[in-house]
Amino acid sequence: MHELSVALEVCRMAEERLSPPQLSQLVAVGVEVGDDAGVEPENLRFCLETLLAAPPFARARPVLTRLPGDALRLAYLEIDDGRSDD
Amino acid sequence: MAVRTIEVRERVMARNDELAATVRERLRKAGVLALNLVSSPGSGKTTLLERTLDRLGEELDIAVVTGDVQTQNDADRLARRTSRLVQAVVTGGACHLDALQVDSALDSLDLDRTRLLFIENVGNLVCPASWDLGESAKVVVFSVTEGEDKPVKYPKVFQQARYAVLNKIDLLPHLQFNLDEAVGNARQVSPELRFFFTSALTGEGMDQWYAFLREQVRAVGPIPAM
Repeated sequence: MHELSVALEVCRMAEERLSPPQLSQLVAVGVEVGDDAGVEPENLRFCLETLLAAPPFARARPVLTRLPGDALRLAYLEIDDGRSDD
Repeated sequence: MAVRTIEVRERVMARNDELAATVRERLRKAGVLALNLVSSPGSGKTTLLERTLDRLGEELDIAVVTGDVQTQNDADRLARRTSRLVQAVVTGGACHLDALQVDSALDSLDLDRTRLLFIENVGNLVCPASWDLGESAKVVVFSVTEGEDKPVKYPKVFQQARYAVLNKIDLLPHLQFNLDEAVGNARQVSPELRFFFTSALTGEGMDQWYAFLREQVRAVGPIPAM
Protein backbone atom coordinates (compact mmCIF):
# COMPACT_ATOMS: atom_id res chain seq x y z
CA MET A 1 0.00 0.00 0.00
CA HIS A 2 2.94 2.34 0.51
CA GLU A 3 4.47 1.73 -2.91
CA LEU A 4 4.14 5.39 -3.86
CA SER A 5 6.16 6.41 -0.77
CA VAL A 6 8.80 3.84 -1.68
CA ALA A 7 8.88 5.01 -5.30
CA LEU A 8 9.25 8.64 -4.22
CA GLU A 9 12.15 7.68 -1.98
CA VAL A 10 13.83 5.73 -4.81
CA CYS A 11 13.55 8.83 -7.03
CA ARG A 12 14.91 11.04 -4.25
CA MET A 13 17.88 8.70 -3.87
CA ALA A 14 18.54 8.89 -7.61
CA GLU A 15 18.32 12.69 -7.58
CA GLU A 16 20.73 12.80 -4.66
CA ARG A 17 23.32 10.79 -6.57
CA LEU A 18 23.08 12.22 -10.08
CA SER A 19 23.58 15.67 -11.58
CA PRO A 20 20.68 17.26 -13.50
CA PRO A 21 22.15 16.25 -16.90
CA GLN A 22 22.66 12.71 -15.65
CA LEU A 23 19.04 12.52 -14.47
CA SER A 24 17.86 13.13 -18.02
CA GLN A 25 20.31 10.44 -19.21
CA LEU A 26 19.08 7.89 -16.73
CA VAL A 27 17.76 4.84 -18.58
CA ALA A 28 17.25 2.23 -15.87
CA VAL A 29 16.65 2.16 -12.13
CA GLY A 30 17.35 -1.22 -10.55
CA VAL A 31 15.39 -2.01 -7.43
CA GLU A 32 15.59 -5.23 -5.42
CA VAL A 33 12.31 -6.21 -3.76
CA GLY A 34 12.19 -8.98 -1.18
CA ASP A 35 9.19 -11.28 -1.06
CA ASP A 36 8.64 -10.22 2.57
CA ALA A 37 9.32 -6.52 2.06
CA GLY A 38 5.65 -5.60 2.36
CA VAL A 39 5.71 -4.16 -1.14
CA GLU A 40 3.61 -5.29 -4.09
CA PRO A 41 6.10 -5.27 -7.01
CA GLU A 42 3.62 -4.49 -9.78
CA ASN A 43 2.26 -1.51 -7.83
CA LEU A 44 5.80 -0.31 -7.23
CA ARG A 45 6.61 -0.70 -10.91
CA PHE A 46 3.54 1.37 -11.85
CA CYS A 47 4.47 4.12 -9.37
CA LEU A 48 8.07 4.22 -10.58
CA GLU A 49 7.04 4.28 -14.25
CA THR A 50 4.78 7.23 -13.51
CA LEU A 51 7.40 9.18 -11.57
CA LEU A 52 10.25 8.39 -13.96
CA ALA A 53 8.22 9.69 -16.91
CA ALA A 54 8.23 13.21 -15.49
CA PRO A 55 11.06 15.76 -15.08
CA PRO A 56 13.80 15.75 -13.94
CA PHE A 57 13.74 12.25 -15.40
CA ALA A 58 13.21 11.66 -19.11
CA ARG A 59 13.42 8.07 -20.26
CA ALA A 60 14.25 5.87 -17.30
CA ARG A 61 12.48 2.58 -16.72
CA PRO A 62 12.32 0.60 -13.49
CA VAL A 63 13.94 -2.85 -13.39
CA LEU A 64 12.63 -4.81 -10.45
CA THR A 65 14.38 -7.92 -9.17
CA ARG A 66 12.54 -10.22 -6.78
CA LEU A 67 14.54 -11.72 -3.91
CA PRO A 68 13.75 -13.92 -0.93
CA GLY A 69 13.61 -12.12 2.42
CA ASP A 70 12.66 -8.54 3.26
CA ALA A 71 15.26 -6.59 1.27
CA LEU A 72 14.16 -3.36 -0.35
CA ARG A 73 17.13 -1.72 -2.06
CA LEU A 74 18.03 0.70 -4.78
CA ALA A 75 20.54 -1.59 -6.48
CA TYR A 76 21.87 0.46 -9.39
CA LEU A 77 21.34 3.36 -11.77
CA GLU A 78 22.11 3.07 -15.48
CA ILE A 79 23.06 6.12 -17.51
CA ASP A 80 23.33 6.49 -21.26
CA ASP A 81 25.39 9.62 -21.83
CA GLY A 82 25.55 9.17 -25.60
CA ARG A 83 29.27 8.57 -25.68
CA SER A 84 30.61 5.77 -27.82
CA ASP A 85 31.95 2.57 -26.31
CA ASP A 86 35.52 3.46 -27.33
CA MET B 1 26.84 3.53 -27.21
CA ALA B 2 27.92 3.13 -23.60
CA VAL B 3 25.54 2.55 -20.76
CA ARG B 4 27.26 3.12 -17.45
CA THR B 5 26.03 1.32 -14.38
CA ILE B 6 26.36 3.06 -11.04
CA GLU B 7 26.17 0.54 -8.22
CA VAL B 8 24.15 1.85 -5.27
CA ARG B 9 22.90 -1.10 -3.24
CA GLU B 10 21.40 1.06 -0.53
CA ARG B 11 18.29 0.29 1.46
CA VAL B 12 15.29 2.36 0.45
CA MET B 13 14.44 2.82 4.14
CA ALA B 14 17.95 4.06 4.99
CA ARG B 15 17.01 7.75 5.19
CA ASN B 16 13.90 7.04 7.27
CA ASP B 17 15.98 4.88 9.59
CA GLU B 18 18.57 7.66 10.01
CA LEU B 19 15.78 10.07 10.93
CA ALA B 20 14.30 7.47 13.28
CA ALA B 21 17.65 7.23 15.03
CA THR B 22 17.59 11.02 15.46
CA VAL B 23 14.09 10.84 16.95
CA ARG B 24 15.14 8.01 19.26
CA GLU B 25 18.11 10.01 20.50
CA ARG B 26 15.96 13.12 21.10
CA LEU B 27 13.54 11.02 23.13
CA ARG B 28 16.31 9.27 25.03
CA LYS B 29 17.93 12.56 26.02
CA ALA B 30 14.57 13.89 27.19
CA GLY B 31 13.84 10.69 29.14
CA VAL B 32 10.66 9.97 27.17
CA LEU B 33 9.19 6.52 26.61
CA ALA B 34 7.54 6.43 23.17
CA LEU B 35 4.95 3.81 22.20
CA ASN B 36 3.86 3.53 18.58
CA LEU B 37 0.28 2.22 18.43
CA VAL B 38 -0.39 0.30 15.22
CA SER B 39 -3.63 -1.39 14.24
CA SER B 40 -6.26 -1.75 11.58
CA PRO B 41 -8.86 1.04 11.43
CA GLY B 42 -11.53 0.76 14.10
CA SER B 43 -9.65 -1.40 16.59
CA GLY B 44 -10.16 1.18 19.34
CA LYS B 45 -6.78 2.93 19.53
CA THR B 46 -8.33 6.34 20.13
CA THR B 47 -10.73 5.05 22.79
CA LEU B 48 -7.82 3.26 24.47
CA LEU B 49 -5.89 6.53 24.51
CA GLU B 50 -8.88 8.56 25.73
CA ARG B 51 -9.26 6.31 28.74
CA THR B 52 -5.50 6.20 29.31
CA LEU B 53 -5.31 10.00 29.24
CA ASP B 54 -8.20 10.20 31.71
CA ARG B 55 -6.37 7.97 34.17
CA LEU B 56 -2.67 8.66 33.59
CA GLY B 57 -2.43 11.81 31.49
CA GLU B 58 -1.28 14.03 34.34
CA GLU B 59 0.47 11.33 36.37
CA LEU B 60 2.76 10.24 33.53
CA ASP B 61 2.94 13.56 31.64
CA ILE B 62 1.54 11.96 28.51
CA ALA B 63 1.84 13.62 25.11
CA VAL B 64 0.23 12.32 21.93
CA VAL B 65 0.94 12.51 18.21
CA THR B 66 -1.85 11.22 15.98
CA GLY B 67 -1.63 10.21 12.35
CA ASP B 68 -4.59 10.08 10.01
CA VAL B 69 -4.95 10.02 6.25
CA GLN B 70 -7.55 12.79 6.42
CA THR B 71 -9.14 14.81 9.24
CA GLN B 72 -7.80 15.46 12.71
CA ASN B 73 -10.82 13.87 14.37
CA ASP B 74 -8.71 11.63 16.61
CA ALA B 75 -6.55 14.54 17.77
CA ASP B 76 -9.67 16.57 18.52
CA ARG B 77 -11.16 13.72 20.57
CA LEU B 78 -7.95 13.28 22.54
CA ALA B 79 -7.46 17.00 23.07
CA ARG B 80 -10.68 16.96 25.09
CA ARG B 81 -9.00 14.58 27.57
CA THR B 82 -5.79 16.47 28.24
CA SER B 83 -4.52 19.97 28.79
CA ARG B 84 -1.49 19.12 26.65
CA LEU B 85 -1.17 19.79 22.96
CA VAL B 86 -2.18 16.80 20.85
CA GLN B 87 -0.18 17.04 17.65
CA ALA B 88 -2.10 15.86 14.58
CA VAL B 89 -0.28 14.69 11.49
CA VAL B 90 -2.54 14.51 8.45
CA THR B 91 -0.69 12.38 5.95
CA GLY B 92 -2.74 13.50 2.95
CA GLY B 93 -3.09 10.01 1.52
CA ALA B 94 -0.03 8.25 2.86
CA CYS B 95 -0.87 5.01 4.62
CA HIS B 96 1.62 5.35 7.49
CA LEU B 97 3.58 7.86 9.54
CA ASP B 98 7.28 8.25 8.85
CA ALA B 99 10.18 9.38 11.01
CA LEU B 100 10.38 12.83 9.43
CA GLN B 101 6.76 13.53 10.36
CA VAL B 102 7.37 12.42 13.94
CA ASP B 103 10.58 14.44 14.19
CA SER B 104 8.66 17.54 13.05
CA ALA B 105 5.81 16.78 15.44
CA LEU B 106 8.24 16.60 18.36
CA ASP B 107 9.17 20.24 17.69
CA SER B 108 5.68 21.21 18.80
CA LEU B 109 5.71 19.18 22.01
CA ASP B 110 7.27 20.16 25.31
CA LEU B 111 9.51 17.11 25.69
CA ASP B 112 10.93 18.38 28.97
CA ARG B 113 7.42 18.03 30.40
CA THR B 114 6.80 14.63 28.83
CA ARG B 115 7.55 11.18 30.20
CA LEU B 116 5.32 9.09 27.95
CA LEU B 117 4.62 9.75 24.28
CA PHE B 118 1.97 7.86 22.36
CA ILE B 119 2.19 7.87 18.59
CA GLU B 120 -1.18 6.82 17.22
CA ASN B 121 -0.27 5.60 13.77
CA VAL B 122 -2.53 5.54 10.72
CA GLY B 123 -5.01 2.66 10.95
CA ASN B 124 -3.40 0.05 8.74
CA LEU B 125 -1.95 -3.35 9.58
CA VAL B 126 0.49 -3.44 6.66
CA CYS B 127 2.48 -0.29 6.00
CA PRO B 128 3.26 1.06 9.50
CA ALA B 129 5.18 -2.16 10.16
CA SER B 130 7.84 -1.09 7.66
CA TRP B 131 8.55 2.36 9.09
CA ASP B 132 10.67 2.89 12.17
CA LEU B 133 9.52 6.09 13.87
CA GLY B 134 12.17 6.13 16.59
CA GLU B 135 9.75 4.67 19.11
CA SER B 136 10.74 2.65 22.17
CA ALA B 137 8.35 -0.11 21.11
CA LYS B 138 5.44 -0.81 18.83
CA VAL B 139 2.15 -1.86 20.40
CA VAL B 140 -0.22 -3.68 18.08
CA VAL B 141 -3.89 -3.19 18.94
CA PHE B 142 -6.47 -5.54 17.51
CA SER B 143 -10.02 -6.24 18.50
CA VAL B 144 -12.20 -9.28 18.93
CA THR B 145 -14.40 -8.21 16.01
CA GLU B 146 -11.50 -8.66 13.59
CA GLY B 147 -11.11 -12.45 13.66
CA GLU B 148 -8.58 -14.76 15.28
CA ASP B 149 -6.38 -15.01 12.21
CA LYS B 150 -5.27 -11.36 12.01
CA PRO B 151 -1.78 -12.22 13.36
CA VAL B 152 -1.12 -14.84 10.69
CA LYS B 153 -2.66 -12.72 7.94
CA TYR B 154 -0.51 -9.71 8.88
CA PRO B 155 2.55 -11.31 10.48
CA LYS B 156 5.01 -8.47 9.98
CA VAL B 157 3.21 -6.00 12.21
CA PHE B 158 2.92 -8.63 14.95
CA GLN B 159 6.60 -9.53 14.57
CA GLN B 160 7.59 -5.86 14.82
CA ALA B 161 5.48 -5.26 17.93
CA ARG B 162 6.70 -6.02 21.43
CA TYR B 163 3.23 -5.72 22.99
CA ALA B 164 -0.30 -6.55 21.89
CA VAL B 165 -3.58 -5.15 23.16
CA LEU B 166 -6.59 -7.30 22.36
CA ASN B 167 -9.41 -4.81 22.68
CA LYS B 168 -13.24 -4.83 22.84
CA ILE B 169 -13.33 -7.93 25.05
CA ASP B 170 -16.72 -6.75 26.38
CA LEU B 171 -18.11 -8.04 23.06
CA LEU B 172 -16.84 -11.59 23.58
CA PRO B 173 -20.20 -12.96 24.82
CA HIS B 174 -21.80 -11.83 21.57
CA LEU B 175 -19.20 -13.20 19.16
CA GLN B 176 -17.75 -16.54 18.14
CA PHE B 177 -14.24 -15.24 18.71
CA ASN B 178 -11.80 -17.80 20.13
CA LEU B 179 -9.43 -15.90 22.40
CA ASP B 180 -6.97 -18.78 22.85
CA GLU B 181 -6.76 -19.29 19.10
CA ALA B 182 -6.06 -15.58 18.54
CA VAL B 183 -3.30 -15.55 21.14
CA GLY B 184 -1.89 -18.80 19.74
CA ASN B 185 -1.79 -17.31 16.25
CA ALA B 186 0.00 -14.24 17.54
CA ARG B 187 2.54 -16.30 19.48
CA GLN B 188 3.10 -18.42 16.37
CA VAL B 189 4.47 -15.39 14.54
CA SER B 190 5.90 -13.61 17.60
CA PRO B 191 6.54 -15.94 20.54
CA GLU B 192 7.62 -13.20 22.99
CA LEU B 193 4.62 -10.93 22.42
CA ARG B 194 3.19 -9.67 25.72
CA PHE B 195 -0.60 -9.44 25.75
CA PHE B 196 -3.13 -7.14 27.39
CA PHE B 197 -6.83 -7.91 27.22
CA THR B 198 -8.94 -4.79 27.41
CA SER B 199 -12.23 -3.14 26.81
CA ALA B 200 -11.35 0.50 26.45
CA LEU B 201 -15.09 1.17 26.44
CA THR B 202 -16.02 -0.46 29.76
CA GLY B 203 -12.59 -0.29 31.40
CA GLU B 204 -12.22 -4.06 31.77
CA GLY B 205 -8.56 -5.08 31.81
CA MET B 206 -7.35 -1.49 31.77
CA ASP B 207 -5.74 -1.70 35.22
CA GLN B 208 -3.14 -4.14 33.87
CA TRP B 209 -2.45 -1.74 31.00
CA TYR B 210 -2.04 1.18 33.39
CA ALA B 211 0.29 -0.83 35.65
CA PHE B 212 2.38 -1.76 32.62
CA LEU B 213 2.66 1.88 31.53
CA ARG B 214 3.67 3.01 35.01
CA GLU B 215 6.29 0.25 35.17
CA GLN B 216 7.69 1.13 31.73
CA VAL B 217 7.88 4.86 32.46
CA ARG B 218 9.56 4.12 35.78
CA ALA B 219 12.11 1.97 33.95
CA VAL B 220 13.06 4.89 31.69
CA GLY B 221 13.89 6.82 34.83
CA PRO B 222 13.54 10.40 35.96
CA ILE B 223 13.74 13.26 33.53
CA PRO B 224 17.40 14.27 33.25
CA ALA B 225 18.38 17.57 34.84
CA MET B 226 18.66 20.50 32.44
